[in-house]
Amino acid sequence: MAKVIAIVEDDLDQRENYADVLSSHGYEVRCYADKADAEEGFRTALPDLALLDIMLGEDMDGGFDLCMELRNRSPALPIIFLTARDSDTDRISSQRMTAWDYITKPVSLEFLVARVHALLKIAEQLKSQESEPPVSLLEVDQLELDENSMSVRWCGEVVSLTLTEFWIVESLARNPGHVKTYDVLNDVTRQGLVERNTINGYIRRIRNKFRLLDPAFDRIQTVHGTGYKWAKDLG
Amino acid sequence: MLASRNKRRKHREPGFRPKIRPGLKIRTKLLLLVLLLLAIPWMGYKSVREMENFLLEGQQQALELTAQGIASLLGNRRDLFALAAGVPEVLGRPFYIVPQDLIQALPVDAAAELWAAAIGELTDFSGFGLFECNKDYQPDSFALRHGLGAHENSIFSFFDVTDDSVIFRDPEKIALDHNDQLRMTVQDKAGATQRYLLTAQAEGRLSIYRMKRNWREPETGEALREIVAVMELTSWGYAIKLRIPGAYLGTGSRLKFELVDVDDKRDRKIEKIISTEPDPFRYDTRRIRLMTPELAKLIQPLYLPEGNITIWDRYFRLRAELGSIFPEDARLRQLRLENPSFLDRVELAGISLYEWVFRDPEGGDSDIPDDSSREDRSLLQKVLAKGQSETSRRRYGDARLIVTAVPIWAQGEIEGAILIKQSGNKLLALQYGTLRRFTVLFLGVFLFLTLAILIFSSRLTYRVGKLQRETELATTPEGRLLKDRIVAGARASDELGNLTRSISLMLQNLGHYTRYLEKLPDTLAHELHNPLNVVNSSLENLQYQHAELTDDKYLQRARNGLNRLRSIITSLTEAVNLKDALIQGSEQFERFDFAALVTNCVEGYQAANPEHRFLVQVFPGTLLIDGAPDRLAQLLDKLVDNAIEFGKKDGLITVTLHRTDTQAQLTVANQGSLLPEEIAERLFDPMVSSGKDARKTHLGLGLYIVRLVADFHGGTVQARNRRGLDGVEVTVTLPRPDRDTRLD
Repeated sequence: MAKVIAIVEDDLDQRENYADVLSSHGYEVRCYADKADAEEGFRTALPDLALLDIMLGEDMDGGFDLCMELRNRSPALPIIFLTARDSDTDRISSQRMTAWDYITKPVSLEFLVARVHALLKIAEQLKSQESEPPVSLLEVDQLELDENSMSVRWCGEVVSLTLTEFWIVESLARNPGHVKTYDVLNDVTRQGLVERNTINGYIRRIRNKFRLLDPAFDRIQTVHGTGYKWAKDLG
Repeated sequence: MLASRNKRRKHREPGFRPKIRPGLKIRTKLLLLVLLLLAIPWMGYKSVREMENFLLEGQQQALELTAQGIASLLGNRRDLFALAAGVPEVLGRPFYIVPQDLIQALPVDAAAELWAAAIGELTDFSGFGLFECNKDYQPDSFALRHGLGAHENSIFSFFDVTDDSVIFRDPEKIALDHNDQLRMTVQDKAGATQRYLLTAQAEGRLSIYRMKRNWREPETGEALREIVAVMELTSWGYAIKLRIPGAYLGTGSRLKFELVDVDDKRDRKIEKIISTEPDPFRYDTRRIRLMTPELAKLIQPLYLPEGNITIWDRYFRLRAELGSIFPEDARLRQLRLENPSFLDRVELAGISLYEWVFRDPEGGDSDIPDDSSREDRSLLQKVLAKGQSETSRRRYGDARLIVTAVPIWAQGEIEGAILIKQSGNKLLALQYGTLRRFTVLFLGVFLFLTLAILIFSSRLTYRVGKLQRETELATTPEGRLLKDRIVAGARASDELGNLTRSISLMLQNLGHYTRYLEKLPDTLAHELHNPLNVVNSSLENLQYQHAELTDDKYLQRARNGLNRLRSIITSLTEAVNLKDALIQGSEQFERFDFAALVTNCVEGYQAANPEHRFLVQVFPGTLLIDGAPDRLAQLLDKLVDNAIEFGKKDGLITVTLHRTDTQAQLTVANQGSLLPEEIAERLFDPMVSSGKDARKTHLGLGLYIVRLVADFHGGTVQARNRRGLDGVEVTVTLPRPDRDTRLD
């Protein structure tokens, strides 16, 4: 049975483009143009994944409202924010509502599909996690990475990362001590062409999340002008 | 280079602090305005002067009226002016004791009481001013009562003398001035003077000698027989009865008596002299006088205070005189001041100081000459010649004298003239008193006003200055807004307060507008993202559904264009995001090696831009600073982007890191075109660029980001053309941590 993906986007052209590419990849797509439409649709049936724009017509924070509602009804539903807004405030808000990913426009459809795919897989894994032991576990010092559920633990505590952030941490931690250049990290984010500063922003947010748990966290080191590396544990 | 610098400086001027222009400040202007108040005392002085004129005019008219009244009273009275009616004035005698007309001749042998009764009222000469005596004079030791009478052609003179010790002449001595005696001076019409000494060896007839000027030696040893005098001792002293034949004196003569007192029998020195001359300062014995008793009696009731009335006949002979232009107390005062006590001295010092400050016109009395007969005479001449009345005002120093002369007519002929003189000093004193009070009042008001205006203007200047300073501080010389309101004086209710609020409002509006402008790129970018996404996703769908188009060159170009558009939009939002991040304080400062950061970054730039040559000049060792390394790397990115963009191809890009004790100085220099002057100052503002290449993006946000980051780190940034003028260099100066906290 095909997975159901809900797309909430007020712009017809973008909505149809997302719908086209996702349908052609075998997903069942339900499109909503505004908050009221979407709420009604969600009441009938919950999708497997929701792709939300934040601004819906005149409603500046319509996407956030929808996210809250969905989260209330299903704690494990993958939600992706796909928006033109690129401020830290918005990213933090989305994080607080436990959205799984936050992508800024313009988005490459190829990567969008990849993300949708990845998130659905994670959701799948989470559902069956109780019965099955973790399959793919990467452990680097105090860091534990579960590639299937895409969850990260630092010193045994869960660090809540978005999909993009998880990919960056995974890429860095896979080869401790090796410098990941901006170009490599650009590919890892799977967003198409990304400015250095965007990468810097991701790293900054990742560091902040680790530091919430461990104020002395300093594993992700900057190699100025080049990129970042995961420092080996010296102790 | 120097010329270019000067040009640049010239260019900077409009944006710089307003120059202080030479000229008057508000305070000076207001004080100058206060000086205009000085017109008030001038006006006051003028009006007092006018008033003086007016009052003097009035006084003059009153005098003229009086003169005319007297003139008409005396008109057609030829008898009064007949020569025979005149008695030669007794010299030194106030005219009101002119000789009594005696009913009969008095024999010199008659008793003193008889003489006294016949002559009537005697004048007491024990008063001031007529003495030559020492200070301890007592009126009961020496005094004189004197009277004159006339009958037919003889003058009878009676002297009643109080003297506690009568000293007769010692016949053994030749000198005549060693005893009590009576001196008589006669001046005839022609001015020739004769001196007669009346002296006695015992009671009875007196010997009379004509004397030389010194009153010591007689002209001749012969005693005179025509003048008869008898001395009679009384219980209080003695009496002298004297008869002078009228012919002896002649018409128009003048007569003066001096009574000499000697008290000590042994040394026989002259102790005191009483003179019958009442006003020794004024009279010249040469003046011709012919007094008419009738006339004098007629004008006696017309006494004028501080006024002098004289009546003259047509031969310029004085016929009658009344009053003096000098105040009655003037002589008293003068006498007192001649022998001042200590208290008088103190008072004098005070008075002289006071008069030095406010010159008192009462001192003007002394300005009037004792004898002004020459001017009087010329006035009289005019009146007697023309038959018209004449008035003149004379000024002697501070003193004013009003003189009016009116002819007296008798049967169509001019018989004589009346001359009235009155001092204007009373009026002047009044006027000066007014002026003085006015001056004191004015000075007070003037000082008060000056002080008040000084305080007011100082306060005003202070407030304007404060407003000016704060307004200047509200923007940078480049025109960037630093604050959006002015606090000082915004609550004042006056125009200055309104101005302050207006400027505040203007700054707020400017601030809103500036923020709108700064937000504009972000808003724009946001709005562009959606259509961009449409194009992007459509292109991808197109490619997905038509796999054969993947390598289509038009699709490729469309994609290239999209990427460019995207990078433009990203750079548009970058600045705003950075600014927001910096304001929100999400950046954490850490201490790191700035030198390593610069070196690493430049290596990366070299790898990414092989078509440019990079040169790093970094001082060996670490250069620790406190900052946000990501942001500083971003700053360096922008500087290098800028250098690449504006530098010439294959040009050398030099990155220099220099350090001083307190600062780290990062300079990125490129070879290539120079900075256009018109944007040199605004280069670090958003949306300012000197780029002219259409194929590249020139939003001018790069250096704006540099400035934001530098500002955030408490540093400064400056762009200038390089020495040698082959390119541009941008220098960022960042503060270093204090020496005691850093470890290098």
